[in-house]
Amino acid sequence: MVNTKQLRVVYGDGTLGVGGDDFHYIFSYSRGGLESLVIGGKEWLYREPKPTFWRATTDNDRGNGFSKKSIQWLGADMFIDVKSIDIKVNGQLIEFPKPPLNNQYSDHETAAQVEISYHYQTLTIPQTTVDVTYSVTPDSALQIKVHYAGKKGLPELPVFGMRFIMPTKAVSYQYNGLSGETYPDRMAGGIPGTYQVAGLPVTKYLVPEDNGVHMQTNWVTVTRQSTKDNSDASTVPFSLKFEKLTGPFAFSALPYTAEELENATHIEELPLPRRTVVSILGAVRGVGGIDSWGADVEPQYHIPADQDIDFGFVIKRG
Amino acid sequence: MSQKTVTQAALRWLDDPEVFRVNEIPAHSDHQFFKNQDEVNQHQSSFVQSLNGDWRFAYAQDPMSRQKDFYQADFDSSNFDTIRVPGLIEFAGYHKIKYINTLYPWEGKIFRRPAYTMGPDQDGAGMFSEGKDNHVGQYVKKFTLAPALQHHQVRIRFEGVQTAMYAWLNGHFLGYAEDSFTPHEFDLTPYLVDGENTLAVAVFNRSTASFLEDQDMFRFFGIFRDVSLIAQPAVHLEDLSIKPTVNDDFQSGRLTVDAQFNGQQAGTVAHLNVTDAAGHQVYESSQKADGDVRLADTPLESIHLWDHDNPYLYQLTITLTDQAGQPLEIVPYQFGFRRIEINQAKVITLNGQRLIIKGVNRHEWDAKSGRVVTMADMQADIATFKKNHINAVRTCHYPDHLAWYRLCDVNGIYMMAENNLESHGTWQKLGDVEPSDNVPGSLPQWRAAVLDRAKNNYETFKNHTSILFWSLGNESYAGDDIEAMNQYYKQTDPSRLVHYEGVFHNPKYKATISDVESRMYATPTEIEDYLKHDPQKPFLLCEYMHDMGNSIGGMKSYMDLLDKYPMYQGGFIWDFIDQAIEVKDEVTGQKVLRYGGDFDDRVSDYEFSGDGLMFADRTEKPAMQEVRYYYGKY
Repeated sequence: MVNTKQLRVVYGDGTLGVGGDDFHYIFSYSRGGLESLVIGGKEWLYREPKPTFWRATTDNDRGNGFSKKSIQWLGADMFIDVKSIDIKVNGQLIEFPKPPLNNQYSDHETAAQVEISYHYQTLTIPQTTVDVTYSVTPDSALQIKVHYAGKKGLPELPVFGMRFIMPTKAVSYQYNGLSGETYPDRMAGGIPGTYQVAGLPVTKYLVPEDNGVHMQTNWVTVTRQSTKDNSDASTVPFSLKFEKLTGPFAFSALPYTAEELENATHIEELPLPRRTVVSILGAVRGVGGIDSWGADVEPQYHIPADQDIDFGFVIKRG
Repeated sequence: MSQKTVTQAALRWLDDPEVFRVNEIPAHSDHQFFKNQDEVNQHQSSFVQSLNGDWRFAYAQDPMSRQKDFYQADFDSSNFDTIRVPGLIEFAGYHKIKYINTLYPWEGKIFRRPAYTMGPDQDGAGMFSEGKDNHVGQYVKKFTLAPALQHHQVRIRFEGVQTAMYAWLNGHFLGYAEDSFTPHEFDLTPYLVDGENTLAVAVFNRSTASFLEDQDMFRFFGIFRDVSLIAQPAVHLEDLSIKPTVNDDFQSGRLTVDAQFNGQQAGTVAHLNVTDAAGHQVYESSQKADGDVRLADTPLESIHLWDHDNPYLYQLTITLTDQAGQPLEIVPYQFGFRRIEINQAKVITLNGQRLIIKGVNRHEWDAKSGRVVTMADMQADIATFKKNHINAVRTCHYPDHLAWYRLCDVNGIYMMAENNLESHGTWQKLGDVEPSDNVPGSLPQWRAAVLDRAKNNYETFKNHTSILFWSLGNESYAGDDIEAMNQYYKQTDPSRLVHYEGVFHNPKYKATISDVESRMYATPTEIEDYLKHDPQKPFLLCEYMHDMGNSIGGMKSYMDLLDKYPMYQGGFIWDFIDQAIEVKDEVTGQKVLRYGGDFDDRVSDYEFSGDGLMFADRTEKPAMQEVRYYYGKY
């Protein structure tokens, strides 16, 4: 079926707005990412999605010194630079619509497809780049492709993906993938299926650490029922879906960032859960298990930093 | 008892590795006995009077400040507190909870070297009897003998007391015991009075036994298992030894039953009856019950074998009757036929089939009470085992609650029954093997103590079909003393295998210690290396897959070895349940789980206390599904 609808495009002074019937996405030029993702009147973003490189140190990571070896990725996870932004409209690269260049546009610009690429540069030594490309079509689908440029001389990665922070805590999520918490070296027991998870459980390891990863996921739908919008008192649940693009992905949905987990020595020290942190992961390091005082994760479950990583997914209304 | 009764307690025993049991009734089989069949059916013996409950209690910081006359019959204990028995002194709030792994709990506070390790004249006098860190729990329990126990011989049984205990009845010294995890029994009969009796027990946190009980766990003390008064009829089955053997055809076998009766009474007869699981009689005999008697030694043409998948048990019942034919006592015991051996290909077989151990190490743990576990805890653990295809358990690193062995018999769980022994603090120093003060080592002064532990373990649990391996202990290096333990088991019980890992660190004892090559945390590559180079013994991992926090990655590499090498027999995951303690959070008021170091306990090994497949609240960690998958596959 040919989609005859067109996207509405707003060439703003600081942002690019792209919208349709009941959705509207705003890409910030100054803040380095997608600043607003509204579907059905509900905002899905608390802060801009960014590449994520860090996982909260597991007991095995601590024991074998991996966190120390890979420590640069903690900084990279917290802070990152945008080097440049490209915009394509209907497949054509346009001159970046920086004011006053955007004076050429009107209040009724449309397009069949809009693509915006953020070119990030990591604050590592040496530096490398991550390209995140968003592509919007009139059906509201937001396709995201992520490319990590392998670089010799960098330590192995703890994880690689995109981290979305949502304004309020999800009430549940549903996914199609493997049962339970799985990692590349601990997923044989995962049973394929569709699973509903109430709340945003944090696995209660004695010392808070990376947890809740689900490998081999085809899709995950996150459901919230509250917003930060003072004029919206509705408690009707609403959802957002992350779907695979080519191959399955891994994800975690937790109320905390890796840094928040990293900072706690007990689960009760974690902040009161108030947001949703969804990490869509293109590469996950194994957890290991031979011992907890030195044995490395088996080599095939490492993430080498000198090789490219590419993955993608699509965000849709839930 | 051939030993002369000792009538005076001496504090110096705490310092002397050669004193570890005084006036104790010798260890014997763990059979229960009942007055009649109704009691058997109800699992309630009128010969037993529980002393569990509230006891009077006083805590002392050290031996010097204890109340020295508290055991006197006329001592006024009205100003003592009340404490729950069984229970740990730490959980009652008197003493700081402490967790530490290899280092001794006095690390950084007191310098100690085990007696005789620094020379034959270094006897350790005063090390514990005057130890400023040797806290004392002083217990008083007043009781009146229940009518059913009156006019009988009566003993008291402590199923578990950590670390060293002295007991008195009505001011008379009963005895002294170490070895925290096996039962201690003392004869009360000479000292019982009509009406109220006063039992006094002093429990010391430390003694030379502390050097042998350096297990990686929370370090507790107190009376932490049941205490019972046990009456015995005029003639009583004191010890029972059931030896079911399986013939080479694995279809027929032989049953030998030996009994040792205490007491004499003309006309007392022991009737032995054995039925199969369907209730059909398999064998019966009747003999005079007098001294040591062989009650059965009979071939059986057709036997059902016991294993994990079909834990078939026979019911043995011994009924003692008096001259008039009235029952004196009835002893029921379930046993199975199974055969564990190492075949010509150096593969461990069970009933002729290669044994594959899909095991876990299991500490006794309850987040609300520490090492005081309930029947519900044990039943829950068995249910978890079955659900996740766990077929074997190592009782790390001490004997468990008596009921656990029976549960393993009934549920077909293969047991590695480990002695209460771990002394890694005397030879693992900052990551090095440095055994200069190792105990027991080859020191003659420490040999009897560890042999006694071996004997306690054997004698108490010898009739349990589920026990396939005796384990000499954990991480205690190797020397002549552990070699003597090995020899004890080989001589006493040729029907089972002996396991010990520590010989890996002192290979000169490899020929004389352990029937199996056991390692902990060896990598799959290291295991292959062993198995490819003319292995002399079958291989198992007494500990592997360290499940601390988010772990159990890479299990496949271990399971693949099962397909490649028949002499690789599997292993025991470390470990079953997190050791963490439920407390009320001081900030939020929520119930939370705390680990080592959370009680201002220093020096500590902190979160290393929690390495379980289960969280401390007995919910499964996510990794369990991986274990369920692989253990279900083999």
